[in-house]
Amino acid sequence: MNIERETLEMDVLLVGAGPANLSCALHLTNLVAQHNEKAKADGGRQLHELNIAVIEKAAEIGAHQLSGAVLDPISLRELLPDFEKDAPFEAPVGDEKVYFLTASGKIPAPILPPPLRNHGNYVISLNKFVRWLGDKCEAAGVNIFPEFPGWEMLYDNNAVIGVRTGDKGIDKNGKPKAVFEPGVDIVAKVTVLGEGVRGSLTKQLLKQLKLDAGKDPQVYSVGVKELWEMPDDRFPAGSIIHTMGWPLDSHTFGGSWVYGMKDRIINIGLAVGLDYRDPKIDPHHEFQKFKTHPLFAELLQGGKMIRYGAKAMPVGGWYTMPKPTHDGVMIIGDSAATLNGERLKGIHTAIKAGMLAAETILEALLADDYSDKILSRYETRLKESYVGKELYQTRNFHQAFDKGRNMGLMIAGISTLTGGRLPTRLPIKAGHEHMQHQQANGADRYADLKYDDKLTFAKLTDVYYSSTAHDEDQPCHLHVLDTNICIDRCTKEFGNPCQHFCPASVYEMVEDKESRKLHINFSNCVHCKTCDIMDPYQIINWVPPEGGGGPNYRNM
Amino acid sequence: MNIVVCLKQVPKKDSILRIAADQKWIDDRDISYEMSEADAYALEEALRQREKHGSGEVIVLALGPERVRQSIKEALAKGADRAIHLHDDIFNSATDAAGVARALAAALKDEKFDLVFTGLQSDDYGFAQVGLILAETLGLSSATIVMEVQPEGDSVRVKRELESGWFQWVKIPMPALLTIQSGINQLRYATLKGIMAAKKKELKEVKAADLGLTAQALQPAQVIEKAYLPIKSKQTEIIAGKPAEAAAKLVEKLKFDARVL
Amino acid sequence: MSEGILLFIEQRDGKLNRTSLETLVAVQKIAATTGDTTSAVVLGQGINEVATEIAAKKLAKVYTVEDDKLATYTPDAYVGALKQVIEKLNPRMVAFSHTYRVRDFAPRLTAALGKTFVTDCISFRQDGNDTVFTRQIFQGKINTDVRVQSAPPIFVSFQAGSYRADLAEVGDAPAAVEALAVDLSSVDVRTQTEAPFQEAKQAVDLTQAPLIVAIGRGIKEKDNIKIIEDLAAAMGAEIAASRPICDNEWLPMDRQIGSSGQTVAPKLYLAIGISGAIQHVVGMKNSQTIVAINKDPEAPIFDIADYGIVGDLFDIIPALTAEVKKAKGE
Repeated sequence: MNIERETLEMDVLLVGAGPANLSCALHLTNLVAQHNEKAKADGGRQLHELNIAVIEKAAEIGAHQLSGAVLDPISLRELLPDFEKDAPFEAPVGDEKVYFLTASGKIPAPILPPPLRNHGNYVISLNKFVRWLGDKCEAAGVNIFPEFPGWEMLYDNNAVIGVRTGDKGIDKNGKPKAVFEPGVDIVAKVTVLGEGVRGSLTKQLLKQLKLDAGKDPQVYSVGVKELWEMPDDRFPAGSIIHTMGWPLDSHTFGGSWVYGMKDRIINIGLAVGLDYRDPKIDPHHEFQKFKTHPLFAELLQGGKMIRYGAKAMPVGGWYTMPKPTHDGVMIIGDSAATLNGERLKGIHTAIKAGMLAAETILEALLADDYSDKILSRYETRLKESYVGKELYQTRNFHQAFDKGRNMGLMIAGISTLTGGRLPTRLPIKAGHEHMQHQQANGADRYADLKYDDKLTFAKLTDVYYSSTAHDEDQPCHLHVLDTNICIDRCTKEFGNPCQHFCPASVYEMVEDKESRKLHINFSNCVHCKTCDIMDPYQIINWVPPEGGGGPNYRNM
Repeated sequence: MNIVVCLKQVPKKDSILRIAADQKWIDDRDISYEMSEADAYALEEALRQREKHGSGEVIVLALGPERVRQSIKEALAKGADRAIHLHDDIFNSATDAAGVARALAAALKDEKFDLVFTGLQSDDYGFAQVGLILAETLGLSSATIVMEVQPEGDSVRVKRELESGWFQWVKIPMPALLTIQSGINQLRYATLKGIMAAKKKELKEVKAADLGLTAQALQPAQVIEKAYLPIKSKQTEIIAGKPAEAAAKLVEKLKFDARVL
Repeated sequence: MSEGILLFIEQRDGKLNRTSLETLVAVQKIAATTGDTTSAVVLGQGINEVATEIAAKKLAKVYTVEDDKLATYTPDAYVGALKQVIEKLNPRMVAFSHTYRVRDFAPRLTAALGKTFVTDCISFRQDGNDTVFTRQIFQGKINTDVRVQSAPPIFVSFQAGSYRADLAEVGDAPAAVEALAVDLSSVDVRTQTEAPFQEAKQAVDLTQAPLIVAIGRGIKEKDNIKIIEDLAAAMGAEIAASRPICDNEWLPMDRQIGSSGQTVAPKLYLAIGISGAIQHVVGMKNSQTIVAINKDPEAPIFDIADYGIVGDLFDIIPALTAEVKKAKGE
């Protein structure tokens, strides 16, 4: 199909309207304004008004943003010193507890482990926060284009020159509909990928330019969460609980959070490491089981579940960070693994990364040089900043868990005490490689799990509460490169774990009289990226669906 | 050909609706909004008519709070020429069809147009009245549930949907008001260039005072006393027996108890 | 002083629209609590038979309004005529069925009279002197109780299927039929009408179907849909489906019920082999009568069903088709 495409020229193109890119865009407009004011006073060279575009696959800004979240305001204070005046925060962190859970009991942590101390931080909804940042960007003249996913990178001899946006109006058989609208080639001096975890363009770029050569493979967790509306103030805004242990087995990394939000809303979730061994593990089911613990069953008694969502996060840290720049391109935020896996916090680091990227882009604009010679200064800046310091200190955290939880806790403990120093660098393998072949007569992990539609919910019911919608008449956006492997090998070896690790019932093995085949309910997809990460054969490629599709994570 | 399109913004179709604490409306915190479906088709039809005709304007008219600007901008990005936004707390008083129509009519008093399009009904209140009250107030001819539009000189010939698969062509003189049925056409996508161009288009904010309207004048004549989730009051009756027996019993129940056969 | 309830009777080509009888039931029920006298009005030409048919019901009077300009329906003529009728009779309440025709003229009529119109109601309750109407918003997701705050007459329309036409009370003696004269000479009929027609290939509007037979995954294979088609044909029902069926293209997408398809509220919804996932249920839970046939007794569809049969649909459906045919005397 030969398609005529329009070209749109921009100075800076940012892919993904998340905290990293929006901070980058906002900071850049501020820096240019400051520069021009100074240049005006000094008679120096002023920059023309920048054309900055942010493209975003969601239907509206923030709709795909999901996090716990507790925000460390350190970088936001630099970006917006007056943020406390109008930031849509839930509450400053107040009462804080950490427990190690057993099936029916809880062991309080004798002291709050330092990485989990949150005094001075805020409980926030990332969705609300990002919408607020988006408004600030638009007010500053940044163009934000929701419903426009980045489809492929545009190169000129390995230098990135922009991004092609996704086509719209293709039917399920791949044929253009009457209202077909081809994607546009957006060319820019600098393209910034802040796509979040396992970004689809970032994945293309790392492969094309081998920017992850010599780095550890990234490791991930998936967070599954619900919002609950409570009848009373039993869990005040700003209260937080973190737990480790039950129901996760000792080979599974992870833990839970419970945060009190405004208006009697409880935000409860479970993060499950995507380097577990048992292929039958189902993060959604683990979370449902988790809520049946007496501590939480009682806490949620009488409440009403109002929202559900899931999202993966990169927790590998320092040793997994790719080289974040190349000619014409930068990778920032979760896409470049700036999340601190020990504190399970990535928003403050993403904001800082965005700001440092903006400072580097300003230098490039002034030098009119967008090659890696200038852009690579970003990596130096990042590593020398407090973000670099905290990521370096926690560099061995997840690697320690590679050996299972008990060993991991010990190593992580030593590592925290010694400021990250361990006698040797720990080896690590990719998360999906930890998955073991299924046991012939393995027990059903979730035999006792019942869905009562009060405390616990079937996966499909939960998906309804993610407000996920896709145009049904479009090609499936989950590319399984070889479905024969699913039926011939995977069924035998792993028992088709896609049915379990997907928190949105996208993957389903359907059997009829003569055959067994994979059915993909792509319109359930909540864009968490777990399938792309955890598939043991790495044959699932997640690409963005038609712009606007996906969950709607209001208040998540 | 100048066409006015009345646009309403409503909670998104996939929204999870909860009842507000005062039980008068939904809890509108954390709701995403979109153009009411039939209005989106009305806009599309207006754009297509203007394109077919080769000249004229598509003017978007919308009433509601700040958030409505997002839908107005979407309409401008898709190709509407300019927009009027009735944006004032006083308009919050207009909660019934007559109040809204009164405000829209006042805003159109000095506009020159050949056609006014509205959606058949909105996805929230579903009154199916605002368009016709507007037509009556402005003295326009009208046709509802329109599936095809063919301007013919000073008149417009339209295909109306009747019940049970029947249709009818009717012809009315312009200026006319048409209420547009969902599915009349295929909705276009907003393009990047369209979105950029929309930033430069006229978006006029109009206050109630500009139209000589007061909260008093917009008071509703019908009010929602209570909003609640439909309650299931029935008990499931399981019909046992062999297939033939169960089928016979079911038919009997449907015929004589439920009386739906 | 305004008094009594006036019911608008809809006819086309001298044939009564059945939904008018449903609204008659609503009117009779309101009158039973308020003591209002009830009368009906029919507009058109050659409407004696309709008037006689409706006069058999329990009503104080049936008014006929005949005029050349009313021979074919147009909104201008209907508004002009009814305006005069209402001014003459001065009723306390005027009731309509919420049909496509009523939607085409009644809002203009009420606007011309400066009155409010409570549309698409599903029930009412009497609260002292006030009638409080229940109408659905957000496509049936939420109910509201609505109170009218203006002087009579109150205008109201009822949704099709809200009341059962067969429950209309019959009078001890036929009601008097009275011709009411109106002067439409000054009414400018702006609409030129052409003959109604049916399209060979019509889009399915499931929202208008009174009976729906819906299938889900339990049907297993495309070839099995045949037995459902037989049942639907016997019942005179439309076929609908849950998402997996349309995903597999066993039925076209416009037959899909649920959050990504249509929302319906028919008189009868027969859910066959549908488990009742919330995504499907939101599209049909307000159906008047729900029947579920499923082999899994724990299927959530049974939670919202009025009648359920637990068993193998491949045994039950042919039996059901036979019984439906028998009941219809075929």
